[in-house]
Amino acid sequence: MSNSEKNKTIALSVKDIQISFGDLMAVKGVTFDLYENEVIGLIGENGAGKSTMLKILSGIYKPDKGTIELGGKTLKLKSPEDANAAGIGVVHQEQSLFTNLSVAENMDISVGKTGSSSLMGFYNWAKVNASARQTLAKMGSKLDPRTLVGDLPFVDRQMVEIARAIRVGEGANTKPVVILDEPTSLLEPHETAVLEREISKIRELGSVVFVSHRLDEVIRVCDRILVMRDGELVAIRSKSEVDQNELFRLMVGREAKSEKREYRRQNQGEAPVVELKSLTKKGKFKNVNLALAAGEITAIVGANGSGREELCKAIYGALPADSGKLLIHGVEAKNWSVPKAIKFGFGLVPSERKVEGMVGGLDASSNLSLIFGKESTVGPFIDTKKQKAVADTWFEKLDVRPKNPTLELERFSGGNQQKVVMAKWLKSEELELLILDHPLRGLDPGAAATVNSLIRQAVQNNTAVILLADTLEEALEMGDQIVVMRDGEVSSVFDLHKEQPTSLDLLEKMV
Amino acid sequence: MANNNSGTITPSANTAAISNRINWRRLAEPSALIATLFALIIIFSILNPRFASVENLRNLMDQAALPLIIGVGATLVILLGSIDLSIEGIMGSAGLAFVLLSANSRSESDFGLLALLAALLTGIIFGLLNGLIVTKVKVPSFVVTLGMWFVGLGFATVLYGTETIPVLTNPEVSSWSSTLTFGAPNSFWAAVFVVILGVITLILTKTGRSIMAIGNNEVIARNSGIRVDRIKITVFALAGLLSAVAGIIAAIKLGSGSPSVGLGSLFITIPAVVIGGTALAGGKGGVLRTALGVLLLTVLNNGLILAGVSPSFQSGLAGAILIAAIVFAAWSQRDRLRIAK
Repeated sequence: MSNSEKNKTIALSVKDIQISFGDLMAVKGVTFDLYENEVIGLIGENGAGKSTMLKILSGIYKPDKGTIELGGKTLKLKSPEDANAAGIGVVHQEQSLFTNLSVAENMDISVGKTGSSSLMGFYNWAKVNASARQTLAKMGSKLDPRTLVGDLPFVDRQMVEIARAIRVGEGANTKPVVILDEPTSLLEPHETAVLEREISKIRELGSVVFVSHRLDEVIRVCDRILVMRDGELVAIRSKSEVDQNELFRLMVGREAKSEKREYRRQNQGEAPVVELKSLTKKGKFKNVNLALAAGEITAIVGANGSGREELCKAIYGALPADSGKLLIHGVEAKNWSVPKAIKFGFGLVPSERKVEGMVGGLDASSNLSLIFGKESTVGPFIDTKKQKAVADTWFEKLDVRPKNPTLELERFSGGNQQKVVMAKWLKSEELELLILDHPLRGLDPGAAATVNSLIRQAVQNNTAVILLADTLEEALEMGDQIVVMRDGEVSSVFDLHKEQPTSLDLLEKMV
Repeated sequence: MANNNSGTITPSANTAAISNRINWRRLAEPSALIATLFALIIIFSILNPRFASVENLRNLMDQAALPLIIGVGATLVILLGSIDLSIEGIMGSAGLAFVLLSANSRSESDFGLLALLAALLTGIIFGLLNGLIVTKVKVPSFVVTLGMWFVGLGFATVLYGTETIPVLTNPEVSSWSSTLTFGAPNSFWAAVFVVILGVITLILTKTGRSIMAIGNNEVIARNSGIRVDRIKITVFALAGLLSAVAGIIAAIKLGSGSPSVGLGSLFITIPAVVIGGTALAGGKGGVLRTALGVLLLTVLNNGLILAGVSPSFQSGLAGAILIAAIVFAAWSQRDRLRIAK
């Protein structure tokens, strides 16, 4: 408890916050203080109420009961605008920048009236740019405020989001309170390092509420950690007196059990499911040689622009390669395309689940039968009874909640959506290759554990798996081999059955 | 873990360099349009020397005036990610209201400037209705404005009644549009004024920037404290106002009142907006781009007539050139996996 204990000025005081949606009481009387120059962590499983709590702090939901005080004054937050005006800046989990506007504009747009750079509704562009540059400088960033956000890589966008949150506080003439909602869930490992440094910068300027799923990260970044479970605040721990295991136990109410990967190799000597021979796509990847064996997980790691996403697309038939060969069971695949890939039993779980992986407005059972629909069709017609039976089986198997496959998929929580998206592929007996693009993105530890066990199940059934992991630890935990890519080339391959590299070893080959 | 040696890693150090570089791809699109425009002008001038005459130039300005005025409103609405199809209906209503309240062959009661204000107000009211129904009742703008198109036409038909055609009797009014000021017709100056106002609104006002933000992502806009509904209603009202301006000028040009005074306007304006490069999905584009699109289409139509292309081929040829222009302009953004619907 470094400086927060010494100068205990309370920045934000939350008292007995309570909110219900229908019968469901999502937050049950949460009370805590946030000190100036403090980073406080907020953790909890999906549905524990932490997102709701954040939405209350950022003015999106109005609590049924309770008060929020900022700098000793009680706030009445009726809208996000009110929160901004009071100096509470939010970095949302999902991208919340306007890609068609410049960095400076994005930073100015949610600043309260008093601090804004417009006069009588007219923009003062010089001032907009200058004040943005100033705030960015405080964060140690040299971004040009006139750049369009759409032209920026993801890490820089995150910097803009944070700078915007700080600018909101400046606009309100208070020390900024910045709420970071799972900011690392979309970042690559080396990028989280940058973010953590940014957070320590904010600590000097104001205070932070940091929400994350990654327990190690929370302990590293935060001064104190709040744990929520079932809408209640079940514990407040300072970082010096807690470890990951205890946090996990507090969060889910049970012990953490890690499934150790079985070091065994099947099907030795058989032709690999997929073999790449100097596969090249100009500007994306070049001379990639790779073999994917049945029943093995190949984790591909690399920074942004390493070409690993594109490589996966090429294997899946969504991106035609310029030269080189793609062999399926030793036979060269010609005119490779997505329909052919699916016919051969290839599956893809994309990272943008909501955009690419599911049809949100369609019910869960229909989503399940989108691919390999044979088991639930009669000729060209859909047999709804069979469809329902299949859905019920898989809902039971994967413990999808709520247990109602007729509900639209978009109404399930992230973890349960991911289970359905994965089941869509797993229900095929002939699944040869499963490409998983960040399968744990945005999932809480409980749901992540289920998804990981699903992946292991697929491997048991002799499926070859490509994994683009969120963290290097995840890659090391799950992979049979790890392929490191840098600037479109494979810079190194580690066979985890023979060697045990550390995440630092991997990082060295990445950058 | 990775973060321990974070000191050596910086977020894309080359960003500053990127941002100071001119974004050629973004410039390529309007430049292609300008090049096409000049190519057309040169070709048509060669085919018929009369094309480049002062007289025809004034003709072009007069023809471009109405689509320019409506185009500004349509661009703002489309930038929001919405659409306004009620243009022709509002033009009919406002134009007729103006004629009936000015000195005309049916009645001698001349309300002068008040006639102008009443007609403009008609447009604002239709626009407000559009905006209110879209935001408060949450009906898609396509449906609302499609309906309002016919409500506008219906209102105009009721105003028109069954009496004789109302003809504008004050020659000063009926000749206003074609009167030359500084060598260009008044209608064109009105359009230039509207375009300049449109550019200022979009680039220099908070409302304008909010329009871009809403078009990019409405949910984020709402969560950033932008008053989305208010801005949408304002923009629809503004579009209604501009449709009314166009309706009044169209009535003046015609010299009499008619519910169908705006007929055909929509199908010059919307393509012009799209050719200019404003995305129908919203958030991308601008008023000047639309102006470029209008000029391109006007030159095309006018040039084909002067080049002696038989009227039976004209619309087919214009359509083909239109598609070619759009493909050409959007070539840089084509993507194999892009979904077109």
